[in-house]
Amino acid sequence: MIVDARGLKKSFKTRARRGQRGHQIVEAVKGIDLTIGEGEIFACLGPNGAGKTTTVRMLATLIEPTEGTATVAGHDVRAEPAKVRRRIGYVGQAGGVDENATGRAGIVLAARIAGMTRHEADKRAAELLAAFSLAEVADRPVRTLSGGQKRRIALAIGLVNEPPLLFLDEPTTGLDPQNRANLWDEVRALRERGTSVLLTTHYLDEADALCDRLAIIDHGLVVAEGTPAELKKQVAGDVVTLRLADGAAGRATDLLGAQEYVKEVRPEDGVLRAYLDDGEHRLPHLLRALEEHGIAIRSIALDRATLDDVFLRHTGRSLRDAA
Amino acid sequence: MLKHTMLFLGYELRSTLRNPIWPLFGVLQPVLYLLLFAPLLANTGAVGASQAEALEAFTPGVMMMVALFGSLFVGFGMIYELREGYLERLAVSQVWRPAIVLGRTLRDVVQLIVQALLVVGLAALMGMRADPIGLLLMLLLMAVVGMLASGLSYGMALAVRDENGMSQIMQFFAMPLILLTGILLPMSLAPQWMQTVALFNPLYHAVEAGRALFAGDLGDGSIPLAFGLTLVLAVLALTWSVRSMRRLAG
Ligand SMILES: Nc1ncnc2c1ncn2[C@@H]1O[C@H](COP(=O)(O)OP(=O)(O)O)[C@@H](O)[C@H]1O
Ligand SMILES: [Mg+2]
Repeated sequence: MIVDARGLKKSFKTRARRGQRGHQIVEAVKGIDLTIGEGEIFACLGPNGAGKTTTVRMLATLIEPTEGTATVAGHDVRAEPAKVRRRIGYVGQAGGVDENATGRAGIVLAARIAGMTRHEADKRAAELLAAFSLAEVADRPVRTLSGGQKRRIALAIGLVNEPPLLFLDEPTTGLDPQNRANLWDEVRALRERGTSVLLTTHYLDEADALCDRLAIIDHGLVVAEGTPAELKKQVAGDVVTLRLADGAAGRATDLLGAQEYVKEVRPEDGVLRAYLDDGEHRLPHLLRALEEHGIAIRSIALDRATLDDVFLRHTGRSLRDAA
Repeated sequence: MLKHTMLFLGYELRSTLRNPIWPLFGVLQPVLYLLLFAPLLANTGAVGASQAEALEAFTPGVMMMVALFGSLFVGFGMIYELREGYLERLAVSQVWRPAIVLGRTLRDVVQLIVQALLVVGLAALMGMRADPIGLLLMLLLMAVVGMLASGLSYGMALAVRDENGMSQIMQFFAMPLILLTGILLPMSLAPQWMQTVALFNPLYHAVEAGRALFAGDLGDGSIPLAFGLTLVLAVLALTWSVRSMRRLAG
């Protein structure tokens, strides 16, 4: 177990809004349990403001939990933060690279801070720059690099001390699809080397494609946890999305809900989502049932259930709409 | 601990050397003051007849300006580093956190000494003659004032965390501080009440001490007073910024 967190809570005191007195308490994280195995890629998936960054910051010893305990890489974050820091890498949401220095200088500094000699640090920097295909831009100020190159420098700095656990907070936010795919490959390469990764994301496909297990976080709480496949199975294998003639939604909901192969029906602005297993074979039955009851269909789509369906089931909102 | 401080000093100095245009630009203003203001001052006859005497009275003030303004704005860079998550990342590394501030402060001091030497060199070319031991002590005093200004600036950056707020605060304090220092005009020209107020301004004493040092009055009482005052304040300011860095994020 590389991370074992129990009942983590964090509340911030903030200045009151205009017109109010005193201060407000923001409960950013309301009680989170997480366990991450050695070598696992674990994702915290949730909308903006869910408390992902705050959770990662507590685990990385940047801020102290208000309540709860956490053991990270074998040490308690509160009692022995220095020992935790020795064994983690941390790449924050903003990257955390000094824009005015060169990438090489940044990596060398990080290596020296981690205790390497000048010679070792130079060697480590050269190694990392080569591994992340950064050798050509290594001696340019970071501010002149592309977004994808900056992220790779940040990643290299996070890995400088060969940590058994790497935190990646929103690693691909703001990257174009090409750079995103490259970064995914780099994260997968980490798994091959046995590095555990805790990443946060608000992209469904990222969590789905990249992680071994994930926790869905909403309003400071874990609402679901498991492998992507497990979570989706809880919902159903497939989802049929129907657009119906006006006023037919209510009748159709009752009708579909009564079919024994339909697990759940969710009306959602203008469309109806019916969850079922083995959709390819059930779809003709479903169509026939609708036809027999004279319900006209405007359009219909059959898809595999996604993590968004999981999110919808647990929170009543779609992750795409959740703010 | 010392090792980390030196690491940051080296790193920051290399960063500065890679782009030395800004510190050079920074010395331009004091140089202009020297070139334009000193002859003006000599003409008023307020401080002495010759340009050399006017320079002797004026240069210490300009050097304090270098010490102050070279360092007072360093915090703006730190606010940027906060926002970029750079400090956050350092804070969860194995770094000894005070080194982040101390290394930078030392860099600021090195930079202002170089700037000061440029200013003195120019003043010497213009005909100023300063006492050599006095000059050395002056550089030391500048280093202390620089540390004070850096410490304040980093402390303020970590407390305010907003460029706008910080520049408002500095605007508010800078003008009276400068006027009541006698950098531009000797305080002997000021009315009595202003002279009294100036006594509470540590920079006033630093400039007075600077004039005594340049004149070679090494026994002047203003010198230990200035060193004592600025040293205590510098330690306080640095302690403040180091403590803020230690608890960067609660
Ligand atoms: N330092 C802070 N002070 C006050 N409120 C904060 C602070 N950090 C985060 N919050 C609040 O806590 C909640 C969770 O934030 P965060 O952990 O950044 O979410 P996420 O990373 O999932 O987008 C938000 O409502 C945010 O405004
Ligand atoms: Mg976040």
